[in-house]
Amino acid sequence: MKPAQPSLRRSVTPWGSYSWGYADVGADIFVALGLVFGVAGGASNIAFLFAGLVYVCVGLAYTELAAAYPVAGGGQYFVMRGLGDFLGFIAGWAVLLDFTIDIALFAWGSIGYMSTLIPQLSSTSHPISHFVTVLFVVAALAVLNIVGVRESTAFQGVVSALDMLSETSILFFGFLFAFRPELLIHSMQIGWPTSFQLMNGISLAIISFVGLESISHAAEETQRPASIIPRTSISLILTILIFALSYSNLALGMQPWHTPVGAEGQPFWHFLGTPENADKAVAIMSANIPLFGVLAAVYVPLLGAILLLISSNSGVFGSSRIAYSMSQSRLLPTLFERVHPRYRTPVVSIVAFSGVAIVELIFAALQGSGGFEFLGDLYAFGAAASYTLVFIALMALRINDPLTPRAFKIPFNIPFKYKGEAVDFPLIGALGLVGILSILVFVLITHHIGRIAGPAWIIIGIIFYFIYRKRKGFSLFGSLPRDWQASQIAILREAGELELMDEYVGKLKAREKRIQDEGPQ
Amino acid sequence: MIDSSLHVTAVGAVCAVSVVLMIMGTLWWMTHAPRSRAEQVARVAERVLRQMVGSIIVVFSQEIRSEHMMVLAARLARRERADLLAAYVVEVPFTLPATATMETEDRAALDTLAAAEAIAQKHGVSIRAQTIHGRQTSQAVLDLAKREKANLIVMGSYREAKYMGAPLGRAIEQIANGAKCDVLIGVEGQYGSLLRTESLNGKDASE
Repeated sequence: MKPAQPSLRRSVTPWGSYSWGYADVGADIFVALGLVFGVAGGASNIAFLFAGLVYVCVGLAYTELAAAYPVAGGGQYFVMRGLGDFLGFIAGWAVLLDFTIDIALFAWGSIGYMSTLIPQLSSTSHPISHFVTVLFVVAALAVLNIVGVRESTAFQGVVSALDMLSETSILFFGFLFAFRPELLIHSMQIGWPTSFQLMNGISLAIISFVGLESISHAAEETQRPASIIPRTSISLILTILIFALSYSNLALGMQPWHTPVGAEGQPFWHFLGTPENADKAVAIMSANIPLFGVLAAVYVPLLGAILLLISSNSGVFGSSRIAYSMSQSRLLPTLFERVHPRYRTPVVSIVAFSGVAIVELIFAALQGSGGFEFLGDLYAFGAAASYTLVFIALMALRINDPLTPRAFKIPFNIPFKYKGEAVDFPLIGALGLVGILSILVFVLITHHIGRIAGPAWIIIGIIFYFIYRKRKGFSLFGSLPRDWQASQIAILREAGELELMDEYVGKLKAREKRIQDEGPQ
Repeated sequence: MIDSSLHVTAVGAVCAVSVVLMIMGTLWWMTHAPRSRAEQVARVAERVLRQMVGSIIVVFSQEIRSEHMMVLAARLARRERADLLAAYVVEVPFTLPATATMETEDRAALDTLAAAEAIAQKHGVSIRAQTIHGRQTSQAVLDLAKREKANLIVMGSYREAKYMGAPLGRAIEQIANGAKCDVLIGVEGQYGSLLRTESLNGKDASE
């Protein structure tokens, strides 16, 4: 008899699942706020609103797919299942770009926030010490991941809870003590950007919503994922949307307690977007709230730095696991499956993609004061590219796999029949696809580095993929044979979603019967 | 006095409160997912258990050995804060008067109840211990349960040497059939080890 394969224990609770996502997405506003204010100025709230609407569509697509296919692969798995191996590889490769940027960008941001307390770490006044510290942080995270030390879900949960409390407090006291509606309108009028700047701002604003993927990655460890993930995903979408819109509107209408040093003669929101402040905008903002700012000036930089560090670490963890998963699906060489004999961690994947992050970091450092924006550009490109494919996969799976039960289904669909099966075409998915495609176009138009480096990353990946598949004798554009039905039954059984498993098996039998009945005609 | 640099406006206050309410509402909704079929069954079972263990009687006699079930009852009583009563029933044969002294059996009862008290003490629950003389174990237990308004009777089991239509032992079957509350019986399987409480008795029960 074959021994049972060890599987991941389902111990992640709703809050655990939420905090997995929040530790990743929650950190985004800490880096995105300053970047967006730097380019979109008085229309930053509009940029966040547009990106937020697209993000809602992205979030709903992820929610539906993660609840229907609660496995660890996330976007890469959905695309591979819906569109085949080749596009699955491209989606996974784009996600890998995001995760490696995640490592560099958030390590950069973490040190940026620390520089509020330790000015010697500032990226503009002390670029060398800043770069060396960020490099050290990335290397240390890689080593910790190889040894297998990772922050626990409980730690992540506590930091997420503290951060939520902190961000809600900043907004509460900010709106209560420092918000002037007439100043908001005035700021929007005097700081309205050009169309080019607004497009640039929108494409950067999307980075404040990247990371929902983490909930999908924890799906295999989540209790009753088909029921819990829709709740945690939608809650995360709403929370981040509330934060992003509130922060941008507050910053535009905020009257700081005292004029911050260096902000003389310029609006407060403009001060937040300067290269000196972009990587610590939330800390500066909170420190300038009357009364509350005295306390916030001390703890917000520290909390921001910890949250960003966790996010950076989730980049190391996520990139290595995505590479491991792609390797198991034969989208990457089996080298990436290699596990350290002592620590039982995917050492090759960790070293390889932490190395990529360090290369990106060096390129960013070479940009001088624009380094943070360079990382933001690439992050936006990776997110837009992978989300585009996820939307297409959502539609393809609705058509190719209508029988898989969807515990959560995006509303507003067009019903039609395809090969005898009732199919619902997702209108919101189509809308989201248009939205994310427009952001991808904005990225390509407005980011002079993103437009070269992003596609270059994809092209290098495709060449690498073709060489590997050719050497192994696998189809270049086709897919390897896989029994998706048996796999889906196993996924639902292991997830403890027995009602959904019964529903799926029932639908399969009904289809078989229908095909048999139709056969003799 | 309010600091002159504070800018409290009605719109700002509404925004401030709205942000807090929206975040709280979102998190409340997230943590209140509908229960699955399995969770609903588990919830009902929990409620039933809570109702049935208000007062627990653990039964001992010469033939009913319940030390292992005593541990279970003590854990249950601690968790559910139930009253716990350990009762040792000494059967007085019809050939003797009902008030006859049963020295050996009473001594055995003392040992058993002392062990029951030690178990309860170890689990941090208070216990009442009682030796009861009766003509028939089952009737004595049923009377006691009625008197004490017991919610649960807990006992071990034994198998009769010769099958007489009551595989668990007559007394146990009669208690199970006649009790007005739930009865929890620890039954030894064919190869089970429930009754091998050698560490309590100093010898192997299977001998």
